[in-house]
Amino acid sequence: MRHTSAWMRVRIGFFVAAFMLFAIVANTALAQAPDPSDQVHTIAKLLNCPTCGGRNLADCPTDTCTQWKQEIRSQLDAGKTQTEVIDYFKTRFGPTVLQEPPKEGVILLLWVTPVVILIAILIAGVIVLKRISMPRQTGATITTAVPQVADSYAARIEEEVNKS
Amino acid sequence: MKNKTLFIIIAGAASALLIGLFITGMVLATQPGNRPATGALAPDFDIGLYQGYRAGLPENIKLSDLRGKVVLVNFWASWCVECRKESDALEKVWRQYKDRGLVVLGVDYLDTEPAAVKYLQSYDTSYAIGDDIQERISRAYKITGVPESFFIDKKGVIRKTVIQAMTQQELISTVEGLLND
Repeated sequence: MRHTSAWMRVRIGFFVAAFMLFAIVANTALAQAPDPSDQVHTIAKLLNCPTCGGRNLADCPTDTCTQWKQEIRSQLDAGKTQTEVIDYFKTRFGPTVLQEPPKEGVILLLWVTPVVILIAILIAGVIVLKRISMPRQTGATITTAVPQVADSYAARIEEEVNKS
Repeated sequence: MKNKTLFIIIAGAASALLIGLFITGMVLATQPGNRPATGALAPDFDIGLYQGYRAGLPENIKLSDLRGKVVLVNFWASWCVECRKESDALEKVWRQYKDRGLVVLGVDYLDTEPAAVKYLQSYDTSYAIGDDIQERISRAYKITGVPESFFIDKKGVIRKTVIQAMTQQELISTVEGLLND
């Protein structure tokens, strides 16, 4: 009985392992993700599709993008570096071809303005909150009730103390 | 309490400003604007012509250098399926009227030169074709796609705009009219 139970566990373990292996292989086969090490894909990821309004060139199946990816491949085959290929597209089609627009000129203003406004809001918020948390001062003077002891009375106390 | 109200007003105004800037930017970015009107002077531009597609013109030309000729500025691309419908007609009309003063100037839009040259060879194109570097020309003409064509008369004035592929007959009737002016 014990032997049968152990054998069952081995069999179940085998099937579980086989199923997991199948799942991993199937997932890999179905995903069919482009090889990230592929330089064409890497460069295409940095560029926009010219006709799809901001869509990534690497993920775009249109004829235009297919042609652009062929152009990337041709330039890499001709010995150009990644920077040179990107510079070619930037020069030929303008900076809007880049997925991340260069932080220069008017575009720099677009990057900086929201940050400046947010910082200004934060500073204004801190100043206002500090003001709120400070105690309020009114025009009336604050008076502290100090017991007034008459000079003669004090002198008598001192005399009595000295006597004892 | 007054400070709190002030803070809310400032934060609200700043947020509204940010949202306003964002919306304005989006609207401006997505609106192509109006094309140059018929009857207006055609926006001038420089264009570098592809090797083998200069049709007797210099490598770099200005549109304004072509005054005295009827110019058909045709925006196209090798990836444009619709452009294929008019390629033969453009070539035939150019060959028919070039000696009477017609210049067909193809402006290659968002294209790569190898793909463009392959396309042109397949249509046996011989009229002038140049590259729209950084979309300067297409932006000046506010095109919304390809093909788009602008017929410019001898004085440099836009006389007709066509936002689709043209037939040979349509091309001939427009070109004849402008050449006879």
